[in-house]
Amino acid sequence: MSENIAIYDSSIPQTPVISALKGVWEKRSLLKLLVARDLTVRYKRSVIGIWWSLLNPLFTTAVMFYVFNTVFKAKLPDGQSFLPYLLSGVLTMTLFNQGLTMAADSIASGAGVLTKVYVRPEIFAFSATISSAINFLFGLIPLTVVLLIFGKHPGFKTPLLLVFMLCMTLFTTGLGLMLAIAYVNFDDSRSLINIFLLALGYMTPVFYPISALGPHTQRVIHLNPLTSYLQIFRDVFGGNAVASVHEWLMMGGTSIFFFVLGFYVFGRTWPKVVAKL
Amino acid sequence: MSAEKIIEATDITLAYRRTRHRVSSLKQTAIDTINRRMSYEDFYALNGVSFEVSRGETLSVIGRNGAGKSTLLKVLARVLPPTSGRIIVRGSVAPMIELGAGFNAELTGAENIMLYGTLLGRDAKTMQSRIEAIADWAQLTEHLDIPIRAYSSGMVARLAFATATDVTPDLLLIDEVLSVGDEDFQTRSKARTEAMMNSGCAVVLVTHDLSAVKSMATRAIYLDHGAMRASGKPDEVIDAYHADLR
Repeated sequence: MSENIAIYDSSIPQTPVISALKGVWEKRSLLKLLVARDLTVRYKRSVIGIWWSLLNPLFTTAVMFYVFNTVFKAKLPDGQSFLPYLLSGVLTMTLFNQGLTMAADSIASGAGVLTKVYVRPEIFAFSATISSAINFLFGLIPLTVVLLIFGKHPGFKTPLLLVFMLCMTLFTTGLGLMLAIAYVNFDDSRSLINIFLLALGYMTPVFYPISALGPHTQRVIHLNPLTSYLQIFRDVFGGNAVASVHEWLMMGGTSIFFFVLGFYVFGRTWPKVVAKL
Repeated sequence: MSAEKIIEATDITLAYRRTRHRVSSLKQTAIDTINRRMSYEDFYALNGVSFEVSRGETLSVIGRNGAGKSTLLKVLARVLPPTSGRIIVRGSVAPMIELGAGFNAELTGAENIMLYGTLLGRDAKTMQSRIEAIADWAQLTEHLDIPIRAYSSGMVARLAFATATDVTPDLLLIDEVLSVGDEDFQTRSKARTEAMMNSGCAVVLVTHDLSAVKSMATRAIYLDHGAMRASGKPDEVIDAYHADLR
């Protein structure tokens, strides 16, 4: 064991972000176990596990489809169908919401261990966002079925899905780390974040086509980074939208920016939080 | 050659700013900020603490509640970096603090051994090869493949203890000597803890049990409000502590 001869010297300065990332990499076997834990708890112990986790997005989609189909169907560009458009929207929002809140939760609920044993807390956030990404992959099954029903298929751009998932994982990990600090410090931050997520959901074209909005609102919607993530997902999986270069830059830029920011803020703040716990 | 120094703590201080009234909600923070009622104070959880522990020594840390004993253990476990001063820890650390804190009720005994051991800093391959031995010591071999939510609390405690103590560390951190489970298990766990302490590693023991300090410690320090009030032979340090209590 290489850890056995490790020397800890508190006077050696830690490079922000870099040393945290190195710490996560060194403990990747723990990361694997944590992801396995999340997935086992969610799927293996019940036969309907996978379908159970899909129930929420599928039910949401069904309700929204029933309510909005007649209003927005006609507003979609030619050749696009409302149901795959809507389902890809709901799946993307589920991925984002779940990744973000689970990342924050994993650190807040793991505080018992994290304040006693030397483990990089960032590993917990990563395990949550990776589990959410795997969960998201299962959601692609019903989406593919819906695409086929509407005479479409995922398309030749599908490999780019990996870029989308990587960006989303970095994005939610970074944001989740910052949210974790709020969760641990303030009891009421959980209810506040739900209000924020609800507003963000409406600011993202999940169930309405962007073209159905006025020019001013369209500009606002495009300022929301999640719009770019969603449009790219629709573009690369099923061709339910066309993503612009601007949207790719927005996705790449925000994922790296918030990932680094999250690690930086968390690395600076966490020791102070632990001291008070 | 002098004995190998496992811990070298030089003037470690841990200070942070905290609000005078404990605020734990955003709402209250906003109201207090608007009313300019937010006042901070510098709090010293540890203040200039220095000591050394060599291989084979047992250092006992005593003091009242809130004196900084647990904070000191967190600094030694490298969970908390000191705000000033320097701490050097050579070798592997086994923290025996709140055993089983990383357990998940939905996972099986074997899965929990793997996860908990890896959380404690051991590598996954080593853990894989130790599962059987750990289960055997905990007398849980037959129950290894069922989720621990079906375990009794005594079984969970046995599993946690067996996993946590399945090492020969260079530094052992103990927050109160454990007594869990039935009489048989208490005897065995006590014997195992003592065997670990006598294995030649360095031990830091935090406890309120002063008779344990007298019988186990080779040296002691007494903390009060984060500062070191006394350091030396256990008997003398306990006397200093008692003198203060009076």
